[in-house]
Amino acid sequence: MLTPYDFQENLQQRAQYIRNRLRAGSPVIGISYDNGIMLLSFKRRGRKVFEIYDRLMFSAIGNQADVENLRLAAIDFSHQEGFVRSPDDVTIQRVVGFALSPALKKAFGDPLTAPFVVRALFAELHDTPEHDLFYTLNYDGEFLPYERFAVIGGTANAEEQATRYLEANLSGVPTFESSVPVALTAWGIAYEAAQLEEADGVSEEAGRRRLRELLAEGQLEVGILERHTLRENRFRLVPHEQIEPFLQRL
Amino acid sequence: MRTHIGDFFELLQRYQAQTGVRIPMLQPLETPAHTPNSALEVHGTTVIALKFKGGVLNVGDRRATAANAVMYDRADKIVPLDDYTLIAIAGAYGRAMEVVRYLRHAFKYYARSQLQPMSLDGKLQEVSRVLSANLPNALGGIGLFVPILSVYDPDQDRGRIFFFDISGARFETPEYGAAGSGAERIRGVFDYITKTKGAFSERPLEEVLREAILLLDIAADLDAATGGIDKVLPTARYATREGVFEVPEETIRAIVQSIRTGGNA
Repeated sequence: MLTPYDFQENLQQRAQYIRNRLRAGSPVIGISYDNGIMLLSFKRRGRKVFEIYDRLMFSAIGNQADVENLRLAAIDFSHQEGFVRSPDDVTIQRVVGFALSPALKKAFGDPLTAPFVVRALFAELHDTPEHDLFYTLNYDGEFLPYERFAVIGGTANAEEQATRYLEANLSGVPTFESSVPVALTAWGIAYEAAQLEEADGVSEEAGRRRLRELLAEGQLEVGILERHTLRENRFRLVPHEQIEPFLQRL
Repeated sequence: MRTHIGDFFELLQRYQAQTGVRIPMLQPLETPAHTPNSALEVHGTTVIALKFKGGVLNVGDRRATAANAVMYDRADKIVPLDDYTLIAIAGAYGRAMEVVRYLRHAFKYYARSQLQPMSLDGKLQEVSRVLSANLPNALGGIGLFVPILSVYDPDQDRGRIFFFDISGARFETPEYGAAGSGAERIRGVFDYITKTKGAFSERPLEEVLREAILLLDIAADLDAATGGIDKVLPTARYATREGVFEVPEETIRAIVQSIRTGGNA
């Protein structure tokens, strides 16, 4: 039997479909520290953290083709703007708020196109940690700015739990060395919380245990933008040898 | 569906077609019909590229001239394009800087979008392409410039130097390269140094840096359009396996002082 088209029902179904697919995604933890800003995640295969522009990087969970489309759209916009105007005019709020968000919203609301299955985290480096910025961008175009740290995970509950842990364990401006262990545990909590439906209060130990188990299947990826560097490119992926000691102590 | 090939030129053309915003880079400047006044040219300079053991060094003076007027004393003619590549420019400063800005974006755009760095050959091809696109300007008398491209080649683990003519043809040079009015005056000295002291590519950075600054000093003595090394310190940058670095001012100042007070002033 044909039922009349219901806009609200359609959107709910779409959102449900996307949320189910995002649940299994590998969370991303962003922390701003004294000498830079980092995005940390776990990957089974392929890349996870990407450079967008001189002071902008991004990571996402979701369908790979959608993540890729989002990444390329951000890169296109940034380079166009950076050349036509100035690199200083390429800001996180312009890229996320004006270049990407409306397109996501349009695809989500349009019943004839496939919505983006994606939740993204952008990080923007500034001269001082106090000015560093994170933006989360959702499949429906919603975006939110954050300072100091930010999380994206498979469910809202997972993000909340990881955020609470970060809030409690990051004080002042951390260093890279003090941020990584906190980020690792936060990642474990976010992942564990997303897997166990609506579980509340995933313990630190449970999070760490989950991450330790997973390490057999893949590895961590940490992308940083360096605040003080002589290199032309501020972005780099932290080499595995540098991450290894933190994992030993996990 | 658009296949993303990481071509920055294509991106700009699409932007121009969509927005109608004219990008000067993509069309010839409107040159006057009569013979252009050569005074419009900002031209005289000396930029030097020397290999050293493990990389390649670029040194340039800071003077920009128009005919016999000194227009600007702090022009930076050595610009990093990415973590392995330096460009040194001689010629019309304005146009050259626009091209440099373009190349920086083109290389990075490719690397960021394609998730692999542009190959050395690809980069050289990109430089050739912008130079040939600039040919009408060069022939019209506005916007003539020639770059030297210095790269650290990770595949061969050594520095490499390429120079170009205005039509975009490229040439690789074994040990050194130089461009600008001052470079002409000192051409023979490079050969003298390599023949008496050995190849630049076998000598350490500190030695080669000193040679380069001394060469620049000589060029400035012989060429009015080349700024000296005293009033404003020259720029020096180098590319190695670890990336592109700027030589700190104190290092350059110390070398200049030792040249002025030491034996080879």
